Amino acid sequence: MAQSGPLALEMVQITKSFPGVRALDDVTFACAKGEVHALCGENGAGKSTLIKILGGANQPDAGRILLDGREVSFAHPVASRAAGVSVIHQELSLLPFRTVAENIFLGVEPTRYGLLDRPRMRTESERLLRRLGVSIPTGAQAGELSVAQQQVVEIAKALALDARIVVMDEPTAALERTEATQLIALVKRLSAEGVTIIYVSHRMPEIQAVADRVTVLKDGRTVMTATIAEAPTARLVRAMVGRDLADFYPLPAAKPPGEPALSIRGGANASLSGVDLVVRSAEIVGVAGLEGSGKSELGRAIAGDEPFERGTMEIGGKPTAPRRPREAIEAGIGRLAEDRKREGLLMQQSLRDNATLTQRAFAPWLGRPFSEPMTTRRTDERLRQLDVRALSFEQEARQLSGGNQQKVILSRWLARNPPVLVFAEPTRGVDVAAKAQIYKIMRELADEGRAILMISSDLLEIVGVSDRIIVMREGRIAGELQRGASEEEIMALAVAHDERTEAVAP
Amino acid sequence: MTSAVETRSARTPRLSVNAPLLLLVVSIALYVVVAVATRQTMMLHVDGIVGLLQRMVGLGIVAIGQTFAIVAGSIDLSVANLISVAAVLASFIMQGRPEMMLPAVAAVLAISAVVGVVNGALISRLKVNPLIATLGVGLVLQGLLSASFTNFAGSVPAEFQAVAYGALGPAPYSVIGLFALALLASFVLRATKFGAHLYAVGGNAEGARLAGIRTGLVTVGAHVVCSLCAGLTGLYLASRLRSGAPWVGRDGVYDLESIAVVVIGGTLLAGGRGGVWGTLAGVLLFAALDASFNMLGVSAYPKLVLRGAIVIAAVAVYTFRSRDLVA
Repeated sequence: MAQSGPLALEMVQITKSFPGVRALDDVTFACAKGEVHALCGENGAGKSTLIKILGGANQPDAGRILLDGREVSFAHPVASRAAGVSVIHQELSLLPFRTVAENIFLGVEPTRYGLLDRPRMRTESERLLRRLGVSIPTGAQAGELSVAQQQVVEIAKALALDARIVVMDEPTAALERTEATQLIALVKRLSAEGVTIIYVSHRMPEIQAVADRVTVLKDGRTVMTATIAEAPTARLVRAMVGRDLADFYPLPAAKPPGEPALSIRGGANASLSGVDLVVRSAEIVGVAGLEGSGKSELGRAIAGDEPFERGTMEIGGKPTAPRRPREAIEAGIGRLAEDRKREGLLMQQSLRDNATLTQRAFAPWLGRPFSEPMTTRRTDERLRQLDVRALSFEQEARQLSGGNQQKVILSRWLARNPPVLVFAEPTRGVDVAAKAQIYKIMRELADEGRAILMISSDLLEIVGVSDRIIVMREGRIAGELQRGASEEEIMALAVAHDERTEAVAP
Repeated sequence: MTSAVETRSARTPRLSVNAPLLLLVVSIALYVVVAVATRQTMMLHVDGIVGLLQRMVGLGIVAIGQTFAIVAGSIDLSVANLISVAAVLASFIMQGRPEMMLPAVAAVLAISAVVGVVNGALISRLKVNPLIATLGVGLVLQGLLSASFTNFAGSVPAEFQAVAYGALGPAPYSVIGLFALALLASFVLRATKFGAHLYAVGGNAEGARLAGIRTGLVTVGAHVVCSLCAGLTGLYLASRLRSGAPWVGRDGVYDLESIAVVVIGGTLLAGGRGGVWGTLAGVLLFAALDASFNMLGVSAYPKLVLRGAIVIAAVAVYTFRSRDLVA
């Protein structure tokens, strides 16, 4: 690429070690002014360390950072922000009970006679949001906004600081497809204005759509930097994982599905109506739908969290009507919840404790303690079978990658050996290699004769893994598709007729 | 778009104003109904109302300070002990001499500020949990005080008693002072950068830190305000009791009651949301409850039961409402 003038950002030969790990090894990373530069790599590849160094949260052991050709060093996040670098973290940090304007100017509040200049905060916020092409009321509380709108407010926050380099960490992870598309348009708009964007993502189609160039990290080294034209998805994945995409999705079911394991007739509650659904043993049924379509609520209803109020449900031919999660578990249902951090893991407790949680919930009051060698051995066996990678099974859950955390939760359910498993967003926030592994495990569990319901917002995953696909819309089942259906067919069912012109702003 | 902005911003304050308004109405209704029912209608005349408002002063001042600590995501359990220290110190230094009033007040405020800095520093620097840090500081204060004084110490001059007993027309200085302090506090929370940063630190400390806010200083600031308010309450009690004793703060249960009224007033215990007017409405409710039970001639213990029930109900209602808000 022909360059005129200095690069907006150069990170030269950056090295960083943590006790026991060399997180970055001689990494060089450069961005031109106004380009969208995608940064990919599996979890643990060094992306987040690189970003932390750029954002001033960590200091490199060796190497130099240049902004517009001038060497800089960031001792603290404040220094990096002052130099025009803004990092938008995956977990948004807006204050839910403060207004949009207050959030945008958090820490850089304009003042007049020593007091907050609210009129100016409001007009400036409106100007910034207009520049981003959206209209969000600046007096609204941030907590009332949709995730997509919150994301936009985060970007406006960066612009309020005159950021010239904006780092976005998985910005679309929690967004629906239409919202993601709009965010991508917004990113392009910013880059056209000369803002340099470093775009961290796992989602290949998105990277292809948004990036000008892409850099792949693996094991703390740069393995590839290329223009997006030279880096089709297959090549990117090979660079990230070190192997081909061919065996990414599991093979289809080895044998035809068996008897109905889970059947629901006329299931309805506040958010669902008229749900008729059968999942047979040895099959994986994918459930797709937009946000608010009722697909998450379906999972919760089956698991007794927000139970069905009408209709009937059978597990292995036996009628059951779980009113709470405990009853659903007794009936033979296991559910891996959407939000691992909030609904799944005990973050500060060990893997073993996490893996035995359900088992302990059903243990007799006066049973033998769970640390006894026999139980521990079985627990460890399960964790090993699922290929959970940790320094030790006594490690705290929060220290693991998303993929390993998911496997720990799965092992908790397998301890109960339930005939029906509900996976809600099984690979959200999970890196590519671990995704492939989770798909493979799901297929093996199905082949063992379990019925699997996979609720997912990731259409590639729905298409790649499901034996049969259910599409939901407005709390109802909008239609069913067979294996091999295309993403377009699914979307057509998901949005059918109801002309949703979902803008980022209402 | 302008209209959207206006409707939204009109709606935002309503959520927080609602609670104080409702409490105000409930308190007044309770007071009036009891006064009428017990045929003590003189309680509805100016003197009765002033008496009611005067009941608010002691708790009101501490609670305003406590609001700052809680909004910033912290809490202060040392206020009751600090109140005792302030009351004793004031009357001990004054020894009935008017010329010692100014030094005594200055000393009390200085000591209060130091306690606030210590509380804030323990929490933000040494990362001690706020409950434990302020509990510990409170015990230390009480220990030092009880070791040095066993009974009423010194006395305050008549001039200083004017703080509690003087009045401007029908309005006592103390009531005027309370509302002036509330106005000032609400102005600080709403219109200053310090106020905005208190909400930011209470709402998301890590986010505030990454936004470049010096969160440690904000926490210390919140605790200094809180301790200064406790000091003021101590001065007020010394004036009202004409002397200070080492048990005045503890006997008033100012630590737990100040937290209770803040929470009743709609301030989120986790921080990041709330305000002074809600707190004051909570104080009014407690005062109206006290006055009503007095009129009814009922002993103090059922009052405690009712107070407890009110705190629990308030927290339950707010939790329910904020769940609605999020959903």
